[in-house]
Amino acid sequence: MTPPRVLVLWCPDWPLTAAGTDPAVPAVVLTSGRVSACTAAARATGVRRGQRLRDAQRYCPDVEVLDEDPEGEARAFEQVVSVIEETCPRVEVVRPGLAAIPARGPSRYYGGEEVVGGMIRDAVLGRDFVCAVGVADGTFAANLAARAAFDDDGLRLIPSSSTAGFLAPHPVSVLEMPELTGVLFRLGIRTLGDLATLPPRDVLARFGAEGGVAHRLATGQEARPPAPRATDEDLSAHIDFDQPVEQTEPAVFAAKALADQMHAKLGERGLACVRVEVEAGTADGETRSRLWRHDGLLSSLAVAERVRWQLDAWRTAGQLNGHLTHLRLAPDQVVIDTGRQLSLWGQAENDEQVARAATRIQVMLGHAAVTRPQLAGGRGPGERVVRVPWGDSVAPTLPADRPWPGRLPQPSPAVVHPEPPPARVLDAAGTPVAVSGRSTVSAPPARLTVGKKEHTITGWTGPWPVREYWWERSRHRRCARFQVTTEDGRAWLLAIEDGRWSVEAVYD
Amino acid sequence: MVAARRQRAAAALASVVDAQIEPVREDPGLPVLPALHGLLPGLRRGQVVEVDGTGALALALLAAPSQDGSWCGVVRMPELGVAAAAELGCNIDRLLLVDEPGERWVDVTAALLESADVVLLQPPARPPTGVVRRLVALARKSGSALVVAGGWEGSSLRLKVESSSWSGIDQGHGRLRSRRVKVVASGRMVGGRPRTAWLWLPGPDGSVSNADLASVASMEERLAARAAAVGGDDTEPTGDDATSPAEVA
Repeated sequence: MTPPRVLVLWCPDWPLTAAGTDPAVPAVVLTSGRVSACTAAARATGVRRGQRLRDAQRYCPDVEVLDEDPEGEARAFEQVVSVIEETCPRVEVVRPGLAAIPARGPSRYYGGEEVVGGMIRDAVLGRDFVCAVGVADGTFAANLAARAAFDDDGLRLIPSSSTAGFLAPHPVSVLEMPELTGVLFRLGIRTLGDLATLPPRDVLARFGAEGGVAHRLATGQEARPPAPRATDEDLSAHIDFDQPVEQTEPAVFAAKALADQMHAKLGERGLACVRVEVEAGTADGETRSRLWRHDGLLSSLAVAERVRWQLDAWRTAGQLNGHLTHLRLAPDQVVIDTGRQLSLWGQAENDEQVARAATRIQVMLGHAAVTRPQLAGGRGPGERVVRVPWGDSVAPTLPADRPWPGRLPQPSPAVVHPEPPPARVLDAAGTPVAVSGRSTVSAPPARLTVGKKEHTITGWTGPWPVREYWWERSRHRRCARFQVTTEDGRAWLLAIEDGRWSVEAVYD
Repeated sequence: MVAARRQRAAAALASVVDAQIEPVREDPGLPVLPALHGLLPGLRRGQVVEVDGTGALALALLAAPSQDGSWCGVVRMPELGVAAAAELGCNIDRLLLVDEPGERWVDVTAALLESADVVLLQPPARPPTGVVRRLVALARKSGSALVVAGGWEGSSLRLKVESSSWSGIDQGHGRLRSRRVKVVASGRMVGGRPRTAWLWLPGPDGSVSNADLASVASMEERLAARAAAVGGDDTEPTGDDATSPAEVA
């Protein structure tokens, strides 16, 4: 069965276009430390997607580095989508930068695919967005056609009869399944044509569901066979807000629950959806809807995230002004769920369980309540660790792998007080111990009082003066540290700052 | 004819019985550092271990499981020394910290017990008996080990640091280098007889190792050999030493 004709509009390097970068300026967008998009100028110097920033900077030292901003990308792409919608409805956003439209209806109405493609291309180009349009059987082939068209006149039609021939010379890497295509490449299957000639059953047996999808795409079919189902079943989930909501946040929260409902309904029937339709209605009677690519891969949280992008985009564009009264999520094009293969030994499953627990705790206590520690640079015991909220990836501002002269020597204390409790340190005569500006100790410390407990000091060392950030008033710190052992076998890290002693850490 | 058949069958059966059938091995549970083997062979899944204090001993229990790829949840311990944990051998990428769960610490611990392999908890001063029982049952059901830093009824093993002495520090000079501790394990799991072990926590090389007399002697030999090779004593941190504190201008 041949898939329906699809028209795909592709805006190259969208993350950079959305950020307003000139293609002639070398710039890259970073996603977790790797290049996820680059401008044409950067590409010309040898920068590629997937490179580390260090490598990209080696090719192009003056490259401008931008951070990923998915919400901004989605918001900016809304302008493109609204231009397309003037010509034909039912635009599906595959991801910001890539939109797909069923081509059959519009091409009949306007009199040919070439006419529709040209109209859409010119309309988008007219708004100063670089783009290319491809029309072919199925989204996958149309996407490749659009990419092929980009170097050409920006429009490429692949007739149904020659879809397989068009796909054949493309390398398998265009499938964007790095694990699978890595194996295929090593087996000598370099192009989609090579893959298409293999018997589908053997591919499925050897590579599982993912291999089956790859084979179907390579032969010019839809990624998943459509699921036969009773059309009267309502698989959508919707909510009417009793109190119309003004802010996006409560709607996004509701969207998460809706996505859960929708996934549960689909899951009961062993189905997945290719697209999800987000529909929002306002108190003044407006209703907007938009399709987002799903492919059975998105979690409820990811769906909610897309709802947030969409609502933000509509609001920024002034297309959704009133308070929200209802929100609806509907699965579009339902397919049989082939499931996901868990990796061997259940490691990945365990990670997923932990991720679920962490999210649950975040719902209970707030985003910053669950953290993962990361070593950072610093001299004091508390400065050497940053706690990064679960789900965030933040590189420490002060890297740990630099020399930090004056850093506490190993072993590190096992108990580090977030807020050092005050202490009193007395010498043998009972007078408080002081440290002069020249780092001399007034008398050997003999007694340590923390809270109500008094300890006899059996050994001590110091002072280790630290003077940090003298060039910055707010962070300036001048203190001296002591290590002290007491008669109960414990060791303490004491600090004196402005004549006041505190217990920074305990070696327990 | 029938007799012959029966004979053959009997012979076949005998060969089956003779062949040593490998007993089905129990779930080995979670590993612990080799130095702790004298106290506990491993963390059994569903076990509750009580440790006195939030110090290095509790962190040492997390070292081997986290290196093995198990997730370790840590609840109510904002003072956890992450750098120390890393030095003792923990893989800190596998730590999940919930520092201040407030009143919800029971729910948080329960959520973590269901997913992480080890949960380290510092309970409030007197946890209600019902809560204790619920969490112990949950640990057993989910197959995670619960390590409690503080008082806890219903633990099957209690680890206590009985004595500890730091070395490397003197009156006004030196720096902390190593600590020798005596750890006593008691409770149901070791029967009526408490076990005792001497440990370096941490040792002069930063790791956890055995510190009974035999290994101390060999350690001293090794250190003496190293000192001889380096050619001098290096007790006092000096300004040019990268890890020593010095004034930073």
